[in-house]
Amino acid sequence: MSDRVVLGIGTKKGLFVAEGSKNRRTFTLRGPFGPGVAVYSILIEARSSPRIYASSCNPFFGMKILRSTNLGKSFKETASAPAFPKEDGRALANIWSLESGVDKQDLWCGVEPASLFRSRDGGDSWAMVPGISNHEHSRKWNPGAGGLCMHTILRDGNRVHLGISTGGHYLSEDGGETFKASNKGVGAGFAPDPYPEFGQCVHKMVGHKDAPGRFYMQNHGGWAEWSGPGGPRPDIGVLRSDDHGHTWRSIAKGLPSDFGFPIVAHPDDADTVYVMPLEPATRTCPGGVPAVWRSEDGGGSWKKLTKGLPKKQSYFTVQRDAMDIDELKSPAIYFGNTTGQLWIGRDGGEKWECLFDSLPPIHCVKVAVV
Amino acid sequence: MTADGAQAMSLTVIVPSMLRQYAAGVGELSLSARTVREALEQLEREHLSLYRCVCDETGLVRRHVNLFVNSDHVRDLSGVDTALRPGDLLFILPSVSGG
Repeated sequence: MSDRVVLGIGTKKGLFVAEGSKNRRTFTLRGPFGPGVAVYSILIEARSSPRIYASSCNPFFGMKILRSTNLGKSFKETASAPAFPKEDGRALANIWSLESGVDKQDLWCGVEPASLFRSRDGGDSWAMVPGISNHEHSRKWNPGAGGLCMHTILRDGNRVHLGISTGGHYLSEDGGETFKASNKGVGAGFAPDPYPEFGQCVHKMVGHKDAPGRFYMQNHGGWAEWSGPGGPRPDIGVLRSDDHGHTWRSIAKGLPSDFGFPIVAHPDDADTVYVMPLEPATRTCPGGVPAVWRSEDGGGSWKKLTKGLPKKQSYFTVQRDAMDIDELKSPAIYFGNTTGQLWIGRDGGEKWECLFDSLPPIHCVKVAVV
Repeated sequence: MTADGAQAMSLTVIVPSMLRQYAAGVGELSLSARTVREALEQLEREHLSLYRCVCDETGLVRRHVNLFVNSDHVRDLSGVDTALRPGDLLFILPSVSGG
């Protein structure tokens, strides 16, 4: 029976694990694991005996993957980490996403420069997935400010959705063998063509198990005031697809900014989705007042959730993987920020409380009930 | 003796404490090579995990890793083509950086 809530918190200075009971009143903190080394991705594989994986992105000695089989009480490196074939000419710069596959031993990993790797043995050996890593577009993708990263991997049966910054959304419908750019309706503000075939700066995507074909996307918005070639491009930042990502439409109306990084869906309601709007110029909370915004009608309207959050002078950033939601009956939202705070939004984000106030800058947050 | 008849030199690689987990826990490794490049190639064959910490997939020494032959940084010598002499020490050291 699942009775523990486990948080993986990836920071600039290592991995922390917080554990609490299902009432989520208090959490105990362990770590840092991989001390001093940045962690950009975490996977809590909750099927049967839980495992926690985390990337450990060592700027000195290269990329590693950490694995825990005891709920984050200790971690060991896997036998190897993803690596490009020597003749490829590319070198791994970061690990941005870890996702579970068809069984417990099957792992998918998105890296920088944008490429996909897969392990069939729980992370001890890895093989590059050529259908996207050697895609004809791959040498034309450009890095965003965070690097040329594959940050999102969403599996839906035989479909695999990938989010790349900046590359856009790529879709496989043959289990990951081949991929096509699938960005119809996904705008770009930094290119002459406002709706290119590929090259968009997708920030994060999320799907929903109960709504096949439904996806939400936080894209790189903030182009409403653009006066350069092509003119303003309002509302391209928050999008929705209802056809497995073949086409996308804006759901940004009503938000204070269509720029942001994370996007999270309610575990039991496909129409409920959360974003954290940020000012596009500074990537910080608009007006210094942080707020998570929730839509309960699939993006038709939005409500600001601020109770318990600072009312002023808070100029933090919430990065693309730094918000998650648990799967309890009344789910809580969690976000970590670049100031090192870890917040919990109880009752679906109605009431916020700071769980940890002074962690290192937070890159990613993952939660699971185990 | 190498394939082209040249004499390989015995040297000692000094492994820093943070990398000893990739070298079966030891702080020194004995190798036989004529150049730093050959020493790295031998590391790749015999201590792959350690080699991966020193060089990336393309074979380049990582940006924040410094290699010294005795007291000289290889960049001030002939890089990875620096010739080795019997008894040389090859130090693997992380650069001082970060924040």
